[in-house]
Amino acid sequence: MGTMHIDGHEIPFQENDNILKAALAANIEIPYFCYHAALGSLGACRLCAVEIAPEDPNKKPRVVMSCLEPAKDGINVSVSAAAARQVRQTVIEFLMVNHPHDCPVCDEGGECRLQDMTVACGPPYRRYRGRKRTFTNQYLGPLVHHEMNRCITCYRCTRFYQDYALGDDLGAMRLRNEVYFGRFQEGPLTSPFAGNVIEVCPTGVFTDAVFRQHFARVWDLETAPSICPHCSVGCNTLPGARDGTLRRVCNRFHPEINRWFICDRGRYGHQYSEHPDRPLTAQVSGVKVSYREALAAAAEQIKAARDRTGGLGSTREDLESNAILQTLLNKLSGRFATFSDPQLETATTAAVAALQSSGGAPSLSEIEQADAALVVGDLTTHAPMMDLALRQAYRTGAKLAILHSGPSLLTRFAATTLTVAPHEIGAHLLHLNEQAATASTTSNKHENEKKLADIATYLTTAQRPILIGVSETMAAPEITALAQLANALGSRARLAYALPGANAYGTALLTPTNSTTAMLEAIESGQIQTLIVMGNDPLGDTRLGARWREARQCLSTFIVSDCVATATAEAADILLPVAAWTERGGTFVNYEGRAQGFAPVFQRAEPLPNTAEVLADLAHCLELALPDAAAVLSNIFPGYQAPLPGTLGSSLSAFPLTMQTETPIGSAPLGHPGHWQVTLASWYGDDVLASYAPALVELAPPAAALIHPTAALKERIEDKEQVRLRGPAGTVVLSVQLNNDVAADTIALARVTLAQLGVGHGDLLELERIS
Amino acid sequence: MNDESNRQALQEDLAQLPATDPQRRAAIVPMMQSLQAERGYLDDKSIKEVAQVTGLSTTEVEELATFYSLIYRYPAGRHVLRVCDSLCCGLRGADRLLQAAEKYSGVSLGKVSPDGAFSVLPSICLGLCDQAPAALLDGEAVGSLDEAALQALLQRLQQED
Repeated sequence: MGTMHIDGHEIPFQENDNILKAALAANIEIPYFCYHAALGSLGACRLCAVEIAPEDPNKKPRVVMSCLEPAKDGINVSVSAAAARQVRQTVIEFLMVNHPHDCPVCDEGGECRLQDMTVACGPPYRRYRGRKRTFTNQYLGPLVHHEMNRCITCYRCTRFYQDYALGDDLGAMRLRNEVYFGRFQEGPLTSPFAGNVIEVCPTGVFTDAVFRQHFARVWDLETAPSICPHCSVGCNTLPGARDGTLRRVCNRFHPEINRWFICDRGRYGHQYSEHPDRPLTAQVSGVKVSYREALAAAAEQIKAARDRTGGLGSTREDLESNAILQTLLNKLSGRFATFSDPQLETATTAAVAALQSSGGAPSLSEIEQADAALVVGDLTTHAPMMDLALRQAYRTGAKLAILHSGPSLLTRFAATTLTVAPHEIGAHLLHLNEQAATASTTSNKHENEKKLADIATYLTTAQRPILIGVSETMAAPEITALAQLANALGSRARLAYALPGANAYGTALLTPTNSTTAMLEAIESGQIQTLIVMGNDPLGDTRLGARWREARQCLSTFIVSDCVATATAEAADILLPVAAWTERGGTFVNYEGRAQGFAPVFQRAEPLPNTAEVLADLAHCLELALPDAAAVLSNIFPGYQAPLPGTLGSSLSAFPLTMQTETPIGSAPLGHPGHWQVTLASWYGDDVLASYAPALVELAPPAAALIHPTAALKERIEDKEQVRLRGPAGTVVLSVQLNNDVAADTIALARVTLAQLGVGHGDLLELERIS
Repeated sequence: MNDESNRQALQEDLAQLPATDPQRRAAIVPMMQSLQAERGYLDDKSIKEVAQVTGLSTTEVEELATFYSLIYRYPAGRHVLRVCDSLCCGLRGADRLLQAAEKYSGVSLGKVSPDGAFSVLPSICLGLCDQAPAALLDGEAVGSLDEAALQALLQRLQQED
């Protein structure tokens, strides 16, 4: 938009840029603390001083803060001017007056901006000899460690926490040189994005409490570009390892996805790979054996079973492993499936099919630009970073509408919240379709009708409406209804689904139609004798775990490869432990259909093979010639080239999927007396892998039966009362917790409880009072 | 504004505002003042009460309560001497004045004397730079202080009490 001069260089700038922003974009270093590309300028630290030459030669040059000074055409800026350097030096000297100079014992050492800036601009001496101001630190939970004495009052933490992530339990207290960043009272930070304060803090006030337990200096860490395996968003991460163990995970900038931040599940979920129960040695019938022995045993069984072999892939396994497993099964003329629950299979494939025909899902940075959004389900817990993107849209005035059955953190920011039982979601979506089509005539009397009309108005009047569905808690017809709504809104509307698993999109592309049901029936009828399960947990499935456990009894050999000790891994005849995500390379396809490569970060002292290698070794034992992953994938996806780790990723050219079911949305079944509909009450750390991360799990809400106060009153159930829940797989006694975010006739339960009861989202459940 | 009935009236007024009315937040300072007038200071319970009535989070209320130096989060004496220690007064001997105030009153900074009568607090600039070093004694400006003047002031206060 214009050009200015910085120390003689011509620097272009965009409209509304300040000098600092334009300089940084041109790779010119101006020292700064409080400026942050996502949080903007504040002028709190006074470090980014530069000198501007006067337009009138009779006037003197002036020193300004470059983050607050708009870039103007033709101005002459000097970073190196003596006056500006003097200001920066003085600022550093003042900031260091109260800083404890504890770098040798500080976790931030080596990646501390204060350290860097002090070396770069500060005086090489210390003049202050007086007492330093000190603070009492707070306990902020198991994830973030607090050390207030190091603070330089840049306000980045609260600007991120309150202004950007819309959290309300970290603030800037007191005044003068006693400003204190902390909580009202000690306790865990409640935001799902709290861990980002570690990275935004320019010094060591907030540090990683998990990393601290097994600390390494950052310059000793091995790192490589990786992709977060904990949900379908596919945030870019930079894990750090040392001495054969994973120590921490940080954000890695991707301009269209996560940019500067990741959620706490992504930052702390990595502890699964250091869990004491993690399988590290191969086992045959519960006896530890060498990898080769286990492989030979597996090959022998598969040879015996031949075409009566089945293979179950997974949405959390990478694209390569799923494709190779499929190829192996093809060679054996066996059966291949990828999901443990047929409903999840149809919903996920329907979602991917809808995304393919809608022209692709918006990236997170596009979601941030939305001016209206409809969310179906609890987005925060299934795709936390999509929630953070919607919070940015909300901050700029977007109208959020939420259609959900159970608790959801996003309802706090919603203009309209429609809380209905799981079975009624579909009907409401159809209704919304009608409302959007016929610019609503409001003769509505019912409250929900009014809300639907409001939502339709937001969506039809918006320039950039976005519809987001949580596919795990939606049935295929509901997925389709949401896609139809997007279609009806025209090309300006964008459609996205939070899918179940980091590679759910890629896995769905490989999934044969109705494969899960076929697989289960084949096992039950004895057609499949040997089953290879790869990174999946059918025996721990919430809805069908019991059926799978029974089916497992029909199998002669149950071969499992995984990197966590799931119920399935524990029931394996032959267990082949594999490398965790940070220990191997591969490809995940995120919710947009963007294939992103990740690289192995480190090797364990006793390295484990990755799943694709296990399958190749298995094929070798079976004397089958398997092509390598690249050949398999380019065969499936025309023109496929493995995306390089550390790049932006590439969209996958795949044949369009067809919707597996065309079952229309029926009317909601009549309520059975004594029966409640079940909805999943998840939380932001809820994910198969992350549930093995001890620090994160400490924050999991206690198991309870969440019921709406009105429903409780109707059934005369009191808060904290013990109730017995009866499902097809078992009985659970829980205490009731009244919650306004749960729909009528609905009971919201944690995933663990659902698995114990053998019910899934939308199923019916008996509730019995214990008097 | 400083008596019980006014506070109740204020709370009632606030309770009638719709939850989304941005005006609610604006009532926070008068509300904190009136609660302090009644209770002497704002304890954690008061902070939560203010949060509930104004619709702010407890963090936001705590941010404001700890920002304003005339809002007390800890008990203060019936008489409060606030000695300015900002730039002008600092240059003119505020340090010595604060030490003297502690010595003559027998109360350390930020504490309350055993009889509940007296507290000494450092203060942000009082705008009395022309009379530096200056202080506020129970809201009354006193300027051009030295140790002797301060001692006399405190003695008179003790006699009056």
